[in-house]
Amino acid sequence: MMEVNGSAMIVMAGKNCVGIASDRRLGWNKQMTVACDFQKVFQLNDRIIVGLAGLGTDVQSLRNLLRFRMNLYKLREEREMSPKAFSAMLASLLYEKRFGPYFVEPVVAGLNEDGKPFISSMDFIGAPTSAEDFVVQGTCYSQLHGMCESLYRPDMDQNALFETLSQCLQAAVDRDALSGWGAEVHIITPEGTYTRTLKSRQD
Amino acid sequence: MSRRYDQSTTTFSPEGRLHQVEYAINAINNAGTCVGIMGRDSVILAAEKKQLSILLADPKSSEKMYKIDDHICCVVAGLSSDASLLINEARLTSQRYLYGYQEPMPVESLVQDICDYKQSYTQYGGLRPFGVGFLFAGWDKHNGYQLYQSDPSGNYSGWLAATIGENNPAGKSLLKSDFEENLDTRSCIKLAAKVLSKTMDSTDPSAEKMEFLILSADEETGKVSQRIMPDEELAEILQELQQETATEGDA
Repeated sequence: MMEVNGSAMIVMAGKNCVGIASDRRLGWNKQMTVACDFQKVFQLNDRIIVGLAGLGTDVQSLRNLLRFRMNLYKLREEREMSPKAFSAMLASLLYEKRFGPYFVEPVVAGLNEDGKPFISSMDFIGAPTSAEDFVVQGTCYSQLHGMCESLYRPDMDQNALFETLSQCLQAAVDRDALSGWGAEVHIITPEGTYTRTLKSRQD
Repeated sequence: MSRRYDQSTTTFSPEGRLHQVEYAINAINNAGTCVGIMGRDSVILAAEKKQLSILLADPKSSEKMYKIDDHICCVVAGLSSDASLLINEARLTSQRYLYGYQEPMPVESLVQDICDYKQSYTQYGGLRPFGVGFLFAGWDKHNGYQLYQSDPSGNYSGWLAATIGENNPAGKSLLKSDFEENLDTRSCIKLAAKVLSKTMDSTDPSAEKMEFLILSADEETGKVSQRIMPDEELAEILQELQQETATEGDA
C-alpha cells in the first residue's frame, strides 16, 4: 500500500534550525507517473512542518485532519502547539485507526520555543521514534538512511543543512523507481521558513 | 396568572408564549453591554468589561470576546458558562465544515447551526435554554461583512448595528439617530464607544472598562484578520471622542 504512489523524505537537525526535504512524485499503481508537483510536506504553524510519506489519498486526508486538530487546539488553548505535542497527537491519531490504518508514515520537523530543533518520525500505526540527527521515510528508506549516515554532521547552519538535505535526497531517489520527479526543501529557523524547489532528474 | 405554565420549557402558555425562553432572554439584560457595528471595511465588536471584584486575578483572555474561526468572532452577553459550551460547539462546527469542504464556513451557516442547537433546548429534553445572547461578526466571500444577533430562543437576525445586554434600549436609540452605513473603521469605533458610554451611564469612559475587537478582510486574498485593540490605542480614540462630544452642543 505504501508503494502505490511513491515517496521519499528526510528531516535533519541543524544548529538552531531544522530542515525537511521531500520528493514530489505521484505515481499510480507502481507504474505511471501522474504528477510531479504533488504536495507531501505541510507547514502547520510557524514552527512545525510535517511530511507525510505513503498513500496519496491518506496524505491529503490526514493533512486535513491535522489542520482541524491544530486549529481547535489553538482556539481552545490560546497558544500554538509545540512540536512535541504535535508528534504525540499524530501518533495517537494513527493508532486510533489501528485496525484500519492510514497508510502514511509521517516525519515531523519542528523548532522548539528555545530555538532547538525537534525531529520525529513514526510508522503508520503511530509508533514514534525521535532522534537528535535525522529521520527518513519513503519507498527508498534504505537509500535515504545510507545517504544521511554518510553526509550528516551535527550543528550545520541553514545553508549547509540545505546543501546536505538536497544531496542526500537526490542521490537516494535516483536509486528508486517510485520516488523523485521533483524535490523541495524547507528550512525552519527562528526567523522564518525558507522554501526552495530543486531542479532534479525527471525520471 | 400563567405562573403554572412557566416551569417547563416544553409547555406553551395559553397566550402562546414560552415563558422559560423569555426568562432566559431576560438573563441577558443584566449582562455587560455589547455593541456591534458594520462599517465599510470592517466590523467592530465592543463590550463593557464589568469588574466584579478587585480580588479577581487578571484574566489571561477575554470573557466577552471569542474567536470562533479565522473569519468569525463573537461577543457574549449572559451566563459565561453557557457561553463557553456554545462557543466550543461553534468552533467544532466551523472546523468540521472546513475539514469536509476545504473552505471556510459561511458566517450565516454557522450562526444558523448554533441557533438550531439553541432551539433544541427549547423544545426537547426538559433542559433549560442557554442564558446567552451573541453578536457574531464575520466575513466570507459570499456575503462580505456580516453582523448577526442571536438569543436563547434560537432566533437570529442580521444587523447593520446592534446592541445587547444592560441598557440596550438606550444604546439602540443612540444607534438609530447616529448610525450611518459605510463608515470607516475609526468612525465605527467612535460610535461604538459613544454607545457604550451611554449604556454604561458614564461621563468618563475609560479604556480599561471597555474592550474592542476589529474584524477586517483583505477582499482579494480572502484573508481575515481579527484584532483586539490595545488600551493605549483605545484611550487615544476615547479622548478624541470626549473632545468632539464636549463641543457638540456649541453653536
